[in-house]
Amino acid sequence: MSRIKLLRYGLLIAVGIIAVRLFVIQIFQHDEWVARAEAEHTSQNTIIAKRGEIYMMEGDEPVPVVLNKAGWMVIVDPKVANEEKTERAISEIAGDKVVAKWEDVFKDKTRRYYVVARNVEREQVKKLKEKKLAGVYYQEGNSRVYPEGEMASGLLGFVNAEGKGQYGVEGSLNDQLGGKNGLLKTITDVNNVALSIGDDNVRIPAEDGKNVVLTIDRTLQRKVEKKLAEYLSTSKANHASAVVMDPRNGKVLTMATIPNYEPEKYAEVKDGNLFLNQIVDVAYEPASICKTFTFAAAVEEGVMTPETTYNNTGEITVDGWPIKNAHSGQLGVISMQTALNYSLNTGSMTALMLLGGSKSEITKTGREKLFDYYYNHFGLGQATGFELSESTGLIQEPNKGYGLNSRYANMTFGQNINLTPLQVAAAFSSLINGGEYYAPTIIAGEMKDGKFVKAEEKKSVRRTVTEKTSETMRAMIWGTRGLQRLYGIDKPGYYIGGKTGTAQGIKDGAYTFDETTGSYVGFGGRDGELPEYVIMVKIWEGGQTLEGTADALPLFNLLSDTVIDHLKIKPKEQ
Amino acid sequence: MRKHRSNRVIGALTFLLLGVGLVVIYAIGSQRANFMNSAYGTDYNQNFFFIHQLISVGLSVGAFILAFKFPYAKLRKLSKVLILLAFLTCGLLMLLSVAGSSLASCQLGACRWINLGTFSIQPAEFLKLALILYLAQLISQHKEAGTFETRDFFIPFAIVSAISLFFVIIAQKDLGTGVCIIAIIIAMLLVSGVKLRNFVVVLAVIAGFGVLSILVSPHRLERLMTFSGDGDASSSYHIDNAMMAIGTGGIFGVGVGNSVQATGYLPESINDSVFAVMGETFGFVGLLIVIACFTILLLQLLKISGGLPGEQSLIVIGVFAWVAAHVVVNIAAMTGLIPLTGITLPLLSYGGTSMIFISYGLGLSTQLSCYTGREVRNESISSRRGVGRTHHASRRRSA
Repeated sequence: MSRIKLLRYGLLIAVGIIAVRLFVIQIFQHDEWVARAEAEHTSQNTIIAKRGEIYMMEGDEPVPVVLNKAGWMVIVDPKVANEEKTERAISEIAGDKVVAKWEDVFKDKTRRYYVVARNVEREQVKKLKEKKLAGVYYQEGNSRVYPEGEMASGLLGFVNAEGKGQYGVEGSLNDQLGGKNGLLKTITDVNNVALSIGDDNVRIPAEDGKNVVLTIDRTLQRKVEKKLAEYLSTSKANHASAVVMDPRNGKVLTMATIPNYEPEKYAEVKDGNLFLNQIVDVAYEPASICKTFTFAAAVEEGVMTPETTYNNTGEITVDGWPIKNAHSGQLGVISMQTALNYSLNTGSMTALMLLGGSKSEITKTGREKLFDYYYNHFGLGQATGFELSESTGLIQEPNKGYGLNSRYANMTFGQNINLTPLQVAAAFSSLINGGEYYAPTIIAGEMKDGKFVKAEEKKSVRRTVTEKTSETMRAMIWGTRGLQRLYGIDKPGYYIGGKTGTAQGIKDGAYTFDETTGSYVGFGGRDGELPEYVIMVKIWEGGQTLEGTADALPLFNLLSDTVIDHLKIKPKEQ
Repeated sequence: MRKHRSNRVIGALTFLLLGVGLVVIYAIGSQRANFMNSAYGTDYNQNFFFIHQLISVGLSVGAFILAFKFPYAKLRKLSKVLILLAFLTCGLLMLLSVAGSSLASCQLGACRWINLGTFSIQPAEFLKLALILYLAQLISQHKEAGTFETRDFFIPFAIVSAISLFFVIIAQKDLGTGVCIIAIIIAMLLVSGVKLRNFVVVLAVIAGFGVLSILVSPHRLERLMTFSGDGDASSSYHIDNAMMAIGTGGIFGVGVGNSVQATGYLPESINDSVFAVMGETFGFVGLLIVIACFTILLLQLLKISGGLPGEQSLIVIGVFAWVAAHVVVNIAAMTGLIPLTGITLPLLSYGGTSMIFISYGLGLSTQLSCYTGREVRNESISSRRGVGRTHHASRRRSA
């Protein structure tokens, strides 16, 4: 009997220990086990948002220029995968998509993840899956397709392997285009099959990216790029950029940089500068083009007219430094119109003196007024409000630093100031459109469920000069093209004007004439009406001298004809 | 020896636990089928496991009733035949497995089942029952003859015990069942009134046997290592996931059909690990109720045993040790208290053989509870009908 009691106590002790143990596991450690179980049971999957497409305009219709294509990534786990079988199967079925070297893939077996192929097509993945390869995984993703090939690559940018937009529209508007990835969090069984158990399942749907419609005229873009390429083939330069804008509303119609690259093969591009959108990403010295802004300030202030005269001695000494003209003629008493026609630095420096209320020296007031017009009126040296990321450029403040008079003397003809071609084109537009500054814009709207939803029309941001001044400047700038009219380059019935710029390169910290960049900004349209287009071109090459008159002006002429032809601008009947 | 009304608690708890087991298998059986189908390409029907469990429960109820009705007086005459039959079946299984026959069902080199097409049987379960019957008779016969604890007793005792353990631990590599058989032998010997000195010698021999078995079969060492923290991954994974299931259950559990661990994370979720799934499903409260059921059942067996004459008492003690060993070893392993051994939770785990034979043992114990061998003092007339309560009340009054 006592021995049966022994069994009884033994049993009770065992049960007691188990009960305590259960209490510890189920009540004390409950949260800990729940957390561990959740980590083991929960599977998280990202639902990849569809990246927005990019459209350009074809007449009034948006047309896609950047599309998506479903593509798979093939990933190999070198530790698990069979070396021979894997290589044979993947090379056979998707050899064209292989991005890795096979000897590298299996070199390091501790590395459990090796991307061997990208942009693999649905059919190829299907065939590969049928082979049931161990240690081979497939990940779906989107890849970009560019039906226009290289066209506008500097403007559009590309999408990198991580799916992030880089440069251009893809980079600047990455957040809008990329949308928001969703999340799928589910409790799964051991084979990762989702279960309906529990209420912790999370499903956040992906928000697809916006389909962006650009104001770019696709055909015009193509034509302009073709002209640029043709022009470069006869030039000593290999690089040229052009922006075509509508001065009446700031819409960018063309934004081209040659050479282009293939966005799908961005990885093969050796020169990283090709990725830059020269019109907005790179600030430079547009040189004499800025004389139009200086003269406009003086005209607006009432201290100058095109007929105002001064004595051109070929140079003006400022702060002890003689600042010379590039053109050596036209000495003696000449008009401001002549100074602009021959792009004389003495003329723009004289305008600065007049702004400061003096005829012989640059004053503090003159500097302050010029800065006010350049910066506050024309928006130079600052972001324009464009939708893509842009370089702000650089402008010297009127009372900060040293050698201010000589710096400002240089600024009157566009040196000692860094501006983007877009800043110049936008400011120039306001100069000739009656004085309204429109922030340049490239977004025409978006495609929503297959329908074109137009963006709101942009309004003028501010007035830069009065209508009267604008009219005066239009005539003055028109005046510079006497020769073009004489030789019939500017056809009768059209009203075309423009200004050259030749920027000196900087070598060893000093300006040099061994390397120069040629620029030209001009407007055009039917005679008797406000200009319908503004074109700015820039042409450059390392170690080469490209000039405003010799190189940029003929390029403008070509593009001006192209635009007139494309926009079907009719001449005024004579 | 008088006959009175049988113990009803054992039967009630047996059927209750069988019912709970059915509910659990009903809840997780389809998940198990899905998992097996997707992981091993099998083609189990959604209701496969539940229907099989239903059949097993039906057979178990039948076994219980059969054991209750079939007179022990007749059964005891068969005890030698039964132990021989058990040895023969075990030997047959061994031969089949050595011959590589498909009739021997093996897992990881351990051949424990004889495969008979749609169902398979585990000879070790039959062996346990036969061993209890044989040992009870052997001990009581020698006690009556006055030859208990002599060489005449110890030789057959040692031979039968050694053969049983050989089949189970060495041939079938089933340490869990081995522990159970050792528990049966020790418990029966203890209650038989053996001298402490002889009892210690038997314990020492068994301990020596245990060390030897670990030396023979290194995978047992691995299991011990697992337990101490640096063993093979699969065993520690099993224990870890069992504890995870129990731990996530909390106080009231996640509810029937909501077990995630049963969807393939927890190995043997419907067999040996069913306790863990129940922990997840019914929580601390549910497990305590299940454990309480087993405890009451076991205490009832001890109580019956105390009122029975030698041979019958020993049979009930054997059944007690059998059930207790399964319950304690299984639960202790699932809660990480002892190393993992493949052993079922009586009446609840999926799998018929264990359930049927344990039911038979419990049914037999219930039949034996109808008899009282002990002299009962101050017995009132009414207690002759076997109403225990009245019997105790009168005794208390007299004390």
